[in-house]
Amino acid sequence: MSTKTPAAPAEKQAQASPRLPNPGSKKLFRTIEPYIWIAPSIILMAIFIVTPIVKVFQLSMNKVTRAGRLKGFNNFENFTTVIKDPAFALVLKNTILWTVAVVVISTVLGFILALILNNQFKGRKVARAIVVFPWATTLVIQASAWKFIVNTDYGTLNTLFKKLGFISASVNWTSTPSAWFAWEIACGIFVTIPFVCFCVLSGLQSIDASYYEAATVDGAGYFQKLFKITLPLVRSSLTVSTVLNIIYVFNSFPIIWTMTKGDPANRTDTLVTYLYKLAFYNGKQGEASAVSVIGFIILLICASVYMVYTLRKGDEDL
Amino acid sequence: MTKTVNKPVSVKKTILRLLLYFVVLDVCVITLYPYFAMLCTALKSREEIFSTAGTVLPITALWSNFIDIWSRAPMAKYMLNSFLIAGGSTVIAMLCGIPAAYALARMKFRGQTAFLGFVIVSQMFAPVVLLIGIYQVMQVLHLTDSILGLIFINAAFNQAFTIWLLRGTFMGISAEMEQAATIDGCTRVQSMMRVLLPVAAPGIVTTLIFIFINAWNEYTVALCLISTDTLKPLTVGINIFNGYNIIEWQYLFAASIFAIIPVVILFMCIEKNLVSGLASGGVKG
Amino acid sequence: MKMKKMLAALLAAAMSLSLVACGTSNPPANNSGSAGGSGSGTPDPAPSGDKVALNVIAAQYGDLTKDWWAQFQNDFNAANEGIDLKVEVVSWNDIYTVVNTRVSNNAAPDILNIDTFADYVGDDLLRPIKDFVSDETYAKFYPAFLEQSNIDGTIWAIPDLASARAMYYNKDILEAAGVDKVPATWAELKDACQKIKAYDAEVYPWGVDMTTDEGQACFAYYSWTNGGDFLDANGTWTLNSPENVEAVEYIVGLVKDGLTNSDPATQTRYDLQELFAAGKVAMMIGPNQITSYVEGKENPINFGIASIPANEGKSTSSVGVMDRFMVFDNEDTDDKVEAIKTFFDFFYEDTRYSEWVIMENFLPATSTGGEIMAAADPDAASWIEIVGSAKFYPTAQAKWADVKQGVINVEQQALLGGNVQELLNALQVQIAG
Repeated sequence: MSTKTPAAPAEKQAQASPRLPNPGSKKLFRTIEPYIWIAPSIILMAIFIVTPIVKVFQLSMNKVTRAGRLKGFNNFENFTTVIKDPAFALVLKNTILWTVAVVVISTVLGFILALILNNQFKGRKVARAIVVFPWATTLVIQASAWKFIVNTDYGTLNTLFKKLGFISASVNWTSTPSAWFAWEIACGIFVTIPFVCFCVLSGLQSIDASYYEAATVDGAGYFQKLFKITLPLVRSSLTVSTVLNIIYVFNSFPIIWTMTKGDPANRTDTLVTYLYKLAFYNGKQGEASAVSVIGFIILLICASVYMVYTLRKGDEDL
Repeated sequence: MTKTVNKPVSVKKTILRLLLYFVVLDVCVITLYPYFAMLCTALKSREEIFSTAGTVLPITALWSNFIDIWSRAPMAKYMLNSFLIAGGSTVIAMLCGIPAAYALARMKFRGQTAFLGFVIVSQMFAPVVLLIGIYQVMQVLHLTDSILGLIFINAAFNQAFTIWLLRGTFMGISAEMEQAATIDGCTRVQSMMRVLLPVAAPGIVTTLIFIFINAWNEYTVALCLISTDTLKPLTVGINIFNGYNIIEWQYLFAASIFAIIPVVILFMCIEKNLVSGLASGGVKG
Repeated sequence: MKMKKMLAALLAAAMSLSLVACGTSNPPANNSGSAGGSGSGTPDPAPSGDKVALNVIAAQYGDLTKDWWAQFQNDFNAANEGIDLKVEVVSWNDIYTVVNTRVSNNAAPDILNIDTFADYVGDDLLRPIKDFVSDETYAKFYPAFLEQSNIDGTIWAIPDLASARAMYYNKDILEAAGVDKVPATWAELKDACQKIKAYDAEVYPWGVDMTTDEGQACFAYYSWTNGGDFLDANGTWTLNSPENVEAVEYIVGLVKDGLTNSDPATQTRYDLQELFAAGKVAMMIGPNQITSYVEGKENPINFGIASIPANEGKSTSSVGVMDRFMVFDNEDTDDKVEAIKTFFDFFYEDTRYSEWVIMENFLPATSTGGEIMAAADPDAASWIEIVGSAKFYPTAQAKWADVKQGVINVEQQALLGGNVQELLNALQVQIAG
């Protein structure tokens, strides 16, 4: 991007003003310049993400043997087999519950936490570092730790509560599949909050303090300031974090896999753990790929609706 | 925003302040609890971990567990690999992401929205799903079993966040100063480097941390790509304590604590810049 | 290949662009070490000189496995100058992911150490094992063990080790609860469980694992001790036989009566083994490794080993588990075949092999290894006898993976209140078609 750019002395922003007429070659350069800027990113993603995605589509349309060899197009049989499986509806429902619960709760809590941590107070630096902890931990380990903590028989939570006198005998924190799922969601929220929090914090920090001072002079209350100034200004970071969170949480694998492997009887499975079992335990890579294509389509629809909506609004504002 | 604006501290303010500390303290305690549990477990013997009575704090802290893991696994090597992978991914992701975000924020071109959409769509498959395809690409490029391959993969998987967050940051910054710089004879690249990037520091720092942490924590792809023990990152390497017949919790957690420390230190170093970025962010006017 | 070139060109472009962008430093050094051999499609590191490269993927059995293989690799390479052996040890959690990813990309190892093999045979990926093992070594295996790897008259794999299951019980708890006789039948087992529960509600009388990890073992324990099986003598699936229904209903009944650990669907046998060693589970079925595991503790519990209880009038049966070596068809040269033979000779050399088996407390799969171990350790002798009479999973069946996941699902559905007969009927239809 650098050396190729001619050092034209009076070069201006493309959208800034069209008042200087440009010779032809410069105009051509103007047209292709943006593409040069985005080229590295496109190439990187094309090679390392798009190619594997093409492979997934290919697998989903083919009969695939247990050892992973392709045996030709099979008329979308993978898709029909998957959809006919009674477990699929359950897994889909779990996935939606999981995604909505984790994204909504962690966004709300992360936002509030960011507002708190944006205040000046003693120990703020330490508090911020502590909040990073769950994010700085590999999910497999984080989930192992949670599984260890809530264990009925040797879990640290029971031990701690017994020592503190809250309970007298060990409590089975995970007596039902729903209880397990709730713990998994809690763990998901726990690790997602820091991400939201720091996205919002970075947005908050670029807000000019003078806005608030002006509003205070005008007699605005805390919540008025929150909704009239803060929210609109951090909306772009919040949008980014929410869209990406929906995708990441929807596709999240290690927490559920480590804690329950989707057991019992798919009650805690999401699409990703379900297809992982299909691919690597049952040797059905074709069907597993079909599940991931279905998941992709669901995400695509949700994300496009959300993005089209917020992008329009966002671009008008900014 | 409990900003005290040159007024005597009222009772309400004091209560708010106390409330603030109370909430922050709670958050910290809850956040730290799993780590407290991990640390205590890491200091126990196997017998104590599973003893019927159960203990919160270890009876005698076995710090030797923390030393043992270094002799039982090449921890230093794993850690170095993790640094190379996370650092390299961050550099590549930024080198590719910043120009793209800049183009999206400062230029108008056909296919702009399509590109933004493409970036998001590229994230919609979990790496677990893409493993087979990723391995194929790496084979073609002769990057299986190499740290460089992991660097590219992590950089690619972090493009979406990099581009989206930086685009937002750049758009939130007025283009006037860059335009002024351009009139003064700076090229576009120069004006971006000298004027825009310093002002955009908070967003850039956030992005950096994000990519670094994600790459540091990546597990699935590294697991499948790396076969040589000495090239494994920490996340995959410490699996040695997760055996067929027993899980050695004390070692697993001790090793995990080592894995967290570098990230937290990095964050604390960078956090300063986050705050100073705030100051420079205020200049934009 | 077109795609290859295109990808390479794209990557080169990406790298040069990013180089231009930063204008300075290089990207991190390429350490893939793949200078030569582009067409083969295997990810082998370039063989140094004229050495024959031999890639092995081995399963990680315990914390000693990795060091053992590292030592093995050094010794082997030192003893065989013409061969460059590389052993990759992968944990059981991840080995299917790793192997399937490689195999689907034509990057299978030369030798694989894992439990399943039928899938690979089904895709013509393996070579008959006899061509790769010297006669001398081949003669060492128990013939019954080799038969476990027989598909259509060809032996496709050789066992690397075995383990067997039996019932472990905590003598002190049984005595204190007033259980005079070690339970040998289902009725006695249930009775003993009730006594233990009455004696101490904090102790789980019976350990059950119905997880995705190993729920199929649970099915085998009760089906096989009730005269049932996965298949009949003709090789037809008999998943919904009355014996199997009764077996699943019996064990689900014990769980529902509160006579077992609290959460059989997520508590693996590792959890159970920890609980047993801590005196919190009174009885469980487990592998022979539990002995050394419990005895390795500072205050070992007082335990005994007995046969798995059988239903009234039925005979008991042990469950054997066996892992294998198999050789992938990588269009081997004669040199490679010789190298693989050398590898197996080296591995099954009696002292080295007994060391391998003893290391993680497994049981030998060769008669010579068995004799050495039995002579050294009378405890091992009785186990070797148990494994000799044990039944094994029908791993040679192409549908075994589906059956395995299927019975686990049936158990878990039954735990949640499903009707065992209906569930097994449905599974039978799904499998047998």
